[in-house]
Amino acid sequence: MKDLYLVYKNLTRKKLRLFLTSFAIFIAFLIFAAVTALQGALNSGVEMSADNRLVVFNKINFTQPLPYAYINKVSGVDGVKNVTFANWFGGYYQEPANQVVTMAVDPDSYFEVYSELVVTPEQKANWLQNQAGVMVGERLANVNNWQIGDRIPVSSNIFSNKDGGQTWDLVVEGIFTANDPQVDTGYMVFHYKYFMETQSWGGDYVGWIVLTTDDPALNEQVAKAIDENFANSQAETDTSTEKAFNKAFIEQIGNIGLIIFGVVFMAFFTILVLVGNTMVLAIRERTGEIAVLKTLGFSSPRIFRMILTESCLLAFLGGLLGLGAAYLVVGGLSQMMARFLPNLVLGPDIVLQALGYMLLLGLITGIAPAYRALRLNIITAFARG
Amino acid sequence: MSLLAQSSAVIGMNIKSLPRRLWMSLAMVLASAVVVAVLLAFLAMAKGFEATLQSAGQEDVAFFIRTGSAAELNSSVMKEQVDLLREAPGIASNENGKLVSPELYVIVDGTKKSSGTDANIPLRGMEPQGLALRHNFKLVQGRLFTPGTDELIVGEGVLRQFEGFELGNEVRFGKNRWTVVGVFSTGGNVFESELWADAKVIQTLYNRGSSYQSVRAKLTADAKLEDIQAYIKNEPRLNQEVQTEANYFAVQGEGLSYMAIFGRVISAVMALGALAGALNTMYTSVSDRAKEIATLRAIGFSNLSAFIGTMAEALVLALLGGFLGALAAFLLFDGLSTSTLSGSFTQVVFSFEMSGQLVMQGIWLALIIGFISGFFPAWRATSVPVAVAFQSRG
Repeated sequence: MKDLYLVYKNLTRKKLRLFLTSFAIFIAFLIFAAVTALQGALNSGVEMSADNRLVVFNKINFTQPLPYAYINKVSGVDGVKNVTFANWFGGYYQEPANQVVTMAVDPDSYFEVYSELVVTPEQKANWLQNQAGVMVGERLANVNNWQIGDRIPVSSNIFSNKDGGQTWDLVVEGIFTANDPQVDTGYMVFHYKYFMETQSWGGDYVGWIVLTTDDPALNEQVAKAIDENFANSQAETDTSTEKAFNKAFIEQIGNIGLIIFGVVFMAFFTILVLVGNTMVLAIRERTGEIAVLKTLGFSSPRIFRMILTESCLLAFLGGLLGLGAAYLVVGGLSQMMARFLPNLVLGPDIVLQALGYMLLLGLITGIAPAYRALRLNIITAFARG
Repeated sequence: MSLLAQSSAVIGMNIKSLPRRLWMSLAMVLASAVVVAVLLAFLAMAKGFEATLQSAGQEDVAFFIRTGSAAELNSSVMKEQVDLLREAPGIASNENGKLVSPELYVIVDGTKKSSGTDANIPLRGMEPQGLALRHNFKLVQGRLFTPGTDELIVGEGVLRQFEGFELGNEVRFGKNRWTVVGVFSTGGNVFESELWADAKVIQTLYNRGSSYQSVRAKLTADAKLEDIQAYIKNEPRLNQEVQTEANYFAVQGEGLSYMAIFGRVISAVMALGALAGALNTMYTSVSDRAKEIATLRAIGFSNLSAFIGTMAEALVLALLGGFLGALAAFLLFDGLSTSTLSGSFTQVVFSFEMSGQLVMQGIWLALIIGFISGFFPAWRATSVPVAVAFQSRG
């Protein structure tokens, strides 16, 4: 107990220095946690992909359509469990800048294939009955404050309605949630059939096909079978796991992501080096006092522990505050940016990582002076002082 | 002694004794360098991206896409509509007729050299007049595509960032095979991230019938956009909107402006952290020399000169860091070619661009850090009564 009081006194002897040092550590961990959360949000699509889910796209590019007839052919492939399909709608709400991710899907099979999405049987039944009904993801509904029963005009920047104009009036029949907070629910889905009947171009194509396999071990075999089936046809396919596809999509953003995170993490470590330097110097100043403590009969290991405790306390003081601030910032940002960046959460893995770095900072900055103190010869220390 | 002489004596002393406080001084330099380098990295990225898009747009080219479609990719223009737009007021001509270019814009997959993964490249279908509309278009290798054949020409950016587009190569998109017959440059702008081929061939291969996606038209010197807008409004068969090409690309170029904002916010927050570190350093450095400063004051140096001396020390260290940071950012990032997903869902190849103006912003930031971290410790050093300073330990 007495030791802790001494540690406390040592920490607070120069209030200004304590403040400045903790502040620098605070900033470093604030940036670390916030930027790591951001990075996690960008990658969440990859982590949240189901193991046995495959996506089939046109080989030319995922923006090119596939013939409708492919759906039946894909269902017939050995090892395929459920099949559904979707079409990109290019939706926006009220203003073109206010994009709303909207897809025209097959209502019967969509929620079977995306089994992590949760929807009540009652809402689903209502949706199946209403041609112009739309199922809205919880996050999207919250952002726009939509309730069940609302009639929402959704416009497309690609398609035209047969009745003229680019707007479809859809009725919110249900709001789906997910069984994990990191799963994206920032989009909505409506009836493919209704979409095809009301848009002016017509045609019988789908954007892409999604399927689940009986077992993840079959993924490769199924993907190969599908692509071989359509080889040399008018529309060749490229089948990959959902995970691989999402990863490739993120990689389209390219190494600028890598550069940014690289730069920020370098800066994080530099701040720690700077702070560490100050902390080491601050303890080194006290060589004389440590000699006094030793003279008074404090054992060397005891002093060693006290110094380490002090440096770790300092690291955790600033670090925990920074982590707390990052939690608030990320919470605020995820409200504000729910539309562009869903899944922005400060998860337990980030907290653990940050705690690890705090401990490391405390130990590294403490160990050198503590070791010096451990080996300190009282006579030479006094002679120098 | 005059204030000037006194100050320069103190400054000289402080600077010459810097090596004695090596670690402290280095910490200060490093703090300032990191903040400046981070700021410049972000700004150079945003700047390069913006320049790549904005330099593509011309003020005297009218750009038509379907109302509400926001980007070429989503738009559609029928053949009859192209003919109607051709008759719009204020459109210039050359020896081949009206300078109007209906174009197609489809996306194909290319393999990025950096990651080995597939990414979206725009394949643009054009007619000969389209080339006449691109300022600073230049073939750097090979020849133009022959209309009606599956030949294409490739932008220098695509050649740099993607695999397999060298002159003479055969490339395959799905079932379709194309031959690369030329490499073109458009002065570093976004068109260099594209593949160009004959519009009619793309219409056939991609089931587009006789439709296009966008129309560009060269304007005469006295043309007014309002007249064209009125013309479209009075023609019920047209559902296009018109803007200058410069305007279209300016909006598209905003895509990475969030990078600049993000960079400024991050480096501002980081500057606060570095500032705390720098202040710590300067306070320690000043309190180490409390007696020396007191001695100076006791032998007749004015408070102001002692103050200026400490300030100068902080500024020099911060400035040194600023230059180091700018230099590091310049060496690491200037001209770095990379590509990213743009608003129109395709890859834009661009280079980081470090300009003197950006470097100045970095230097200013370093000066601010130096000023603040010098001011308070200097103030304290000179406001303590001399007698008290001598009594203090240290």
